[in-house]
Amino acid sequence: MNAPKEHEKVRSLLSLAASGVLDSAEEMSVESHARNCPECAAELERWQALAGGLRRLPTPQLSPFVLQRSVALVREAQSAADERRATLRILTPLLALSWFSTIFSWPLFKLASGALRVVLGIRVEPDWRVFAFFVVWTWLAAGVAAAMLSSQQRRDRRLA
Amino acid sequence: MVLDADVVQLRRGDLDALTALIARYQNRLYRYLLRLVREPAEAEDLFQQSWLRVAEKIRTYDPTRSFDSWLFTVARNLALDHLRRVHPQSLDEPALRGTDSESLADRLPSREILPLDRILESERSGKLAAALSDLPATYREVLSLRFEEEMKLEEIAEVLGAPLSTVKTRLRRSLAQLRGTLESYGFHGDPS
Repeated sequence: MNAPKEHEKVRSLLSLAASGVLDSAEEMSVESHARNCPECAAELERWQALAGGLRRLPTPQLSPFVLQRSVALVREAQSAADERRATLRILTPLLALSWFSTIFSWPLFKLASGALRVVLGIRVEPDWRVFAFFVVWTWLAAGVAAAMLSSQQRRDRRLA
Repeated sequence: MVLDADVVQLRRGDLDALTALIARYQNRLYRYLLRLVREPAEAEDLFQQSWLRVAEKIRTYDPTRSFDSWLFTVARNLALDHLRRVHPQSLDEPALRGTDSESLADRLPSREILPLDRILESERSGKLAAALSDLPATYREVLSLRFEEEMKLEEIAEVLGAPLSTVKTRLRRSLAQLRGTLESYGFHGDPS
């Protein structure tokens, strides 16, 4: 490589050399050129001074209050998430059981009304409208109870 | 890669480990966020949000990656979202300095009476910090990651989600612009 070209190439690498991010081949080429080129050596020194200044900038300190508040916030968020997970663990099988009961209660109801007629002689008409009313009523009541419980829990958490 | 014991514990849901990590990374993460957003109140808020996100996403953290890079990526994403929302100017544009805005160095805590040489050092640092603060956010962050966090190019590339060549170019341009800004302040010599 001829001298002016090498000079230009090395000059473009000087800021990165001062930043310590060149690979070893580039680093060696910068070093050997700078030994014989006072202009590049001086320029490299200026970049090194700038890099040194950046490394020595004072570190801003986080206030202990923010640190404590961050820890408290994360703990609070985590315990809320844990609670949600625990609630979900309980609610999922309960919900599955409810659906199962809903689906299978109609045939069971019919079966039970037949058994009552045979064993006790009581005649119960398996009317699907009455049955549907009770199912819808039960689901609505359960939904309202769950919403009230959840709102109560949220209120308790806010007060705690 | 040797996995940090606190990170392992945190992945198991141990909140004490998270407390230890917050304490350990407090100044580094805060400094990085402050360099990005420049406002202490915003940086503090983002600091809290970052740890909330860490607690939420720790199970998705890939232990083969460096935790430092992952943490700074989480913080960076939040900070960039914030900057886009609050300061709609481009992240590549130089920061606007309001008349009432004090420099970053002005806001740094000063707890003791400084002897003369430390006053001079502090003045130089102040000018450098002010010049850094004038750079676009993308330049401020690459300089902070390299010189303050002492991250390798590969780690910076991971945090920025950019190729190595882009990081190198950005680093070179940011240093050139910083030097230009310092020279415009009348600083031609040793800024350190």
